[in-house]
Amino acid sequence: MNRRDFLSTAIKAFFTLLGIITGVIALLFSYPSRIRRPVIEYFPVMDEDEMPRRGVRTVTFRYTIQKKVLTSRAFVVNHKGSVYVLSPVCTHLGCLVNWHRKKNQFLCPCHGGKYDIEGRVVDGPPPKPLTRLPFRISDGKLHIGMKV
Amino acid sequence: MGKVFDWIDSRFGIKAPHKRFLQRPLPERINYLYCLGGVSFVLFLCLLVSGALLSIYYVPSQDEAFQSVVRITREVRLGWFIRGIHKWSANLLIVFILLHTLRVILHRAYRPPRELNWIVGVCTLVVAFASGFTGYLLPWDQKAYWATEVGTSMAGTIPYVGRYILYLLRGGPDITGSTLVRFYSLHIIWLPLTMGALLWAHFHMVKRQGISGGL
Repeated sequence: MNRRDFLSTAIKAFFTLLGIITGVIALLFSYPSRIRRPVIEYFPVMDEDEMPRRGVRTVTFRYTIQKKVLTSRAFVVNHKGSVYVLSPVCTHLGCLVNWHRKKNQFLCPCHGGKYDIEGRVVDGPPPKPLTRLPFRISDGKLHIGMKV
Repeated sequence: MGKVFDWIDSRFGIKAPHKRFLQRPLPERINYLYCLGGVSFVLFLCLLVSGALLSIYYVPSQDEAFQSVVRITREVRLGWFIRGIHKWSANLLIVFILLHTLRVILHRAYRPPRELNWIVGVCTLVVAFASGFTGYLLPWDQKAYWATEVGTSMAGTIPYVGRYILYLLRGGPDITGSTLVRFYSLHIIWLPLTMGALLWAHFHMVKRQGISGGL
């Protein structure tokens, strides 16, 4: 190898290395240093004796995420003796569904998604049943778990 | 790598003319003083890259600017390093442009046919100063605020038109959030674009006219 080839190779290697180091640094820099995973926190929404004996009850409640007060809705259901809480967010594109008592179904106003009382898809485009929200009863109140 | 580049270049045709330029024989009297302009250009590239990275985290708003700079320095991985690169490249850029200017003066390289290149070079110096001045406000701390207060007040002392230039620079009679956004826009869009155009002209003329005969 003569001097010219050696220098040429050395310069190419130097700049390739420089490019790689710069790329790695840029990637490390732009990747978020803190990724906060959402944790579930419980908020009181209604008294225990307000919960339905049978059927669906819509509840509107307030909760706080990072000092911001937000309003949300949920369905508290008592069906065949089992109690559960359904999220009103349609699994299709995220509209809020409504409970239709005569039809005994949750109806989505946007694209006609229909769910039965257990949240299973009956008709329309939704790909998944309605999400069941975690809940617990303590101090005589129903608490619903939200991701914060 | 070479094969991929050759495939692109057979359609793009950029290798041959640049090879002719980059591998041309240089006069023997060339010494390291002729590197000062090149050093300035490398510093400019460092500023572009580090600045582009900083813009990922910087928030140009009067409520969040300072906090975002603190976050870059303390929390972002290698944030202190990227910010340091940007700061020191900016300082050194001014130093090296001035040294380059001094070299050109001493070698009387501004004489015909290079007068236009001298003018373009002075413009790059002005744009570099303007970038430094606008960038100084962006951390949005006391030093930044008062430096801009003093600097823009100077424009206000120009007879007759000073007041209007002052309003134009500050976006109002006082330094507020709109001044910050104004300076941010200048700093990251207008001045770098102008600098790019000026440098293209500068290098184009160096290529056409060759390196000056010196003293």
